[in-house]
Amino acid sequence: MTLDTAEIPRRRLPLPPMKLIRPVVSLGVLFGLWEIAARTGAISAFLFPPPSAIFAALWISAGPNGDPPYGILLDIALSLYRLLAGVGLALVLGTIIGLAIGLTGWGRAVFKPIISALMPIPTLAWTPVLLLVFGIDNRTTITVVFIAASFEIIYNVVTGIEMMTRKVYWVAASMGASRLQTLRYVVLPGILPYLITGLKLGVGYAWRALIAAEMLAASSHGLGFMIYDAQEYMDMKSIYGGILTISVMGLLIERGVIGALEKRTIEKWGVNVER
Amino acid sequence: MPIGFQILDRALRVIRFLLPILGLLLVWELAVRTGLAQAGILPAPSTILARAVELLGLTGERAVLFGHILASLRRALIAFALAVAVGVPLGFLLGLSEEAQLWVSPILSLMLPLPAVAWTPILLVLFGPGDLTIVIVCFLGAVFPVLYSTMQGVRACGRQPVWVVRSMGGSGLDVLRRVLIPSSLPALITGFKLGMAHSWRTLVAAEMLAALTSGLGYMIFAARSYMDVSTMFVGVVCLAAIGMLIEHVLFGTLEHATIHRWYARDAQTGGRQ
Repeated sequence: MTLDTAEIPRRRLPLPPMKLIRPVVSLGVLFGLWEIAARTGAISAFLFPPPSAIFAALWISAGPNGDPPYGILLDIALSLYRLLAGVGLALVLGTIIGLAIGLTGWGRAVFKPIISALMPIPTLAWTPVLLLVFGIDNRTTITVVFIAASFEIIYNVVTGIEMMTRKVYWVAASMGASRLQTLRYVVLPGILPYLITGLKLGVGYAWRALIAAEMLAASSHGLGFMIYDAQEYMDMKSIYGGILTISVMGLLIERGVIGALEKRTIEKWGVNVER
Repeated sequence: MPIGFQILDRALRVIRFLLPILGLLLVWELAVRTGLAQAGILPAPSTILARAVELLGLTGERAVLFGHILASLRRALIAFALAVAVGVPLGFLLGLSEEAQLWVSPILSLMLPLPAVAWTPILLVLFGPGDLTIVIVCFLGAVFPVLYSTMQGVRACGRQPVWVVRSMGGSGLDVLRRVLIPSSLPALITGFKLGMAHSWRTLVAAEMLAALTSGLGYMIFAARSYMDVSTMFVGVVCLAAIGMLIEHVLFGTLEHATIHRWYARDAQTGGRQ
């Protein structure tokens, strides 16, 4: 009897899935070509510093020898603080306004037109106005973040309420639920998935708006401020490092934090539906 | 319903829509007049209106507003045209070849969370302040929505219609002209609408950072250094109004003439930045 070689299970190191290989290869090729082009002088190493130099500069600025020490970490921390404060504010006020529009007649009559009048204003156009009101201050950037995030949250809360069937209200009413109980046990769980969607989109817009607002209005620190400040000194490595950090942080926030939140709440929501 | 009632109904709806906005303006006006709000920071709506009339040249002064609007529109449109010229072919390529899309998507997803404005510092060092920097920033803002919408539209087309045309002896060009373009057109137009909106919204910030002499963003930011608050508000209102005109009138008409006429009514709706 001959053994078919194909049937012998060969021991191999398990290959990492293509999902992991692709990003590494495609980004590796991009940065590799850039590195070679910059090192050989095909492109200006001043205007397009090789990635290795960018990473090295980034590494130094994250350590005690940076200028200022731990500079990039401070920038990240301050940007995140502004994002969190603005988005938190948007989450609270946006949900309240969304509930008012979705649940009450007067809320719909008053807020809907005002919001549709404010929405077409580009978020960043508020910056100079806010600069006059608050000056160069965290409140300016936080307010820009708040504006950028809140429309999406309001819109999704209203959609969530409109998507709910009338029957759940009847059930709650027939069991003698008060208005507050209906809100707490019927409306809030019902809109939660929509709220998360609104939060996800809102945070995405807010992150982009924050960076731009920091370029226009931050007094010190913050990733947007950092890259704009570096431009005045033509410190190209810091600019590229900052841009890379902005992009990676944005990805982490959108995919990591909000993605995890989405997964958990949708699972919870699924359970709710089964109940 | 008789036509008279329809008109009345519509008029009532417009009034109901405008009432809260007018109410807000009235409260604002009163707050400034009574000294509750500082006129130096929050000018009364009547003051802003008067300033707008001045800037439009209706009082005999130089009509500077039109110049700023035209400069802004020109930049946003050039950036949008470039975004279409790059985004549509690339979108077709990535939509048709799944393999290409899988390899490129890591780079795209690294670019996506970046606001276009973040490229301004690099462009300022490369080209200095001016039209070129602004147009490139707006292009970067507009190209991704165009690219993604095109990709989605092409991907949604499916293989069978392509096979049908192929089996009847159609060339690659026929496939493009008779299958891919017609079936992805609604998505393309949505992408154009989003792209133009993004271009316009990015423009303000880009002009604040990099404009030398003209543009609405420049006007707003320059007015800030003179504490000329009413001019700032005129600029903000212009930005919003023109953005709305582009989105609803221009693209609304385009959508009506294409998507609503040729396709089912369930046209995709756009988002905002």
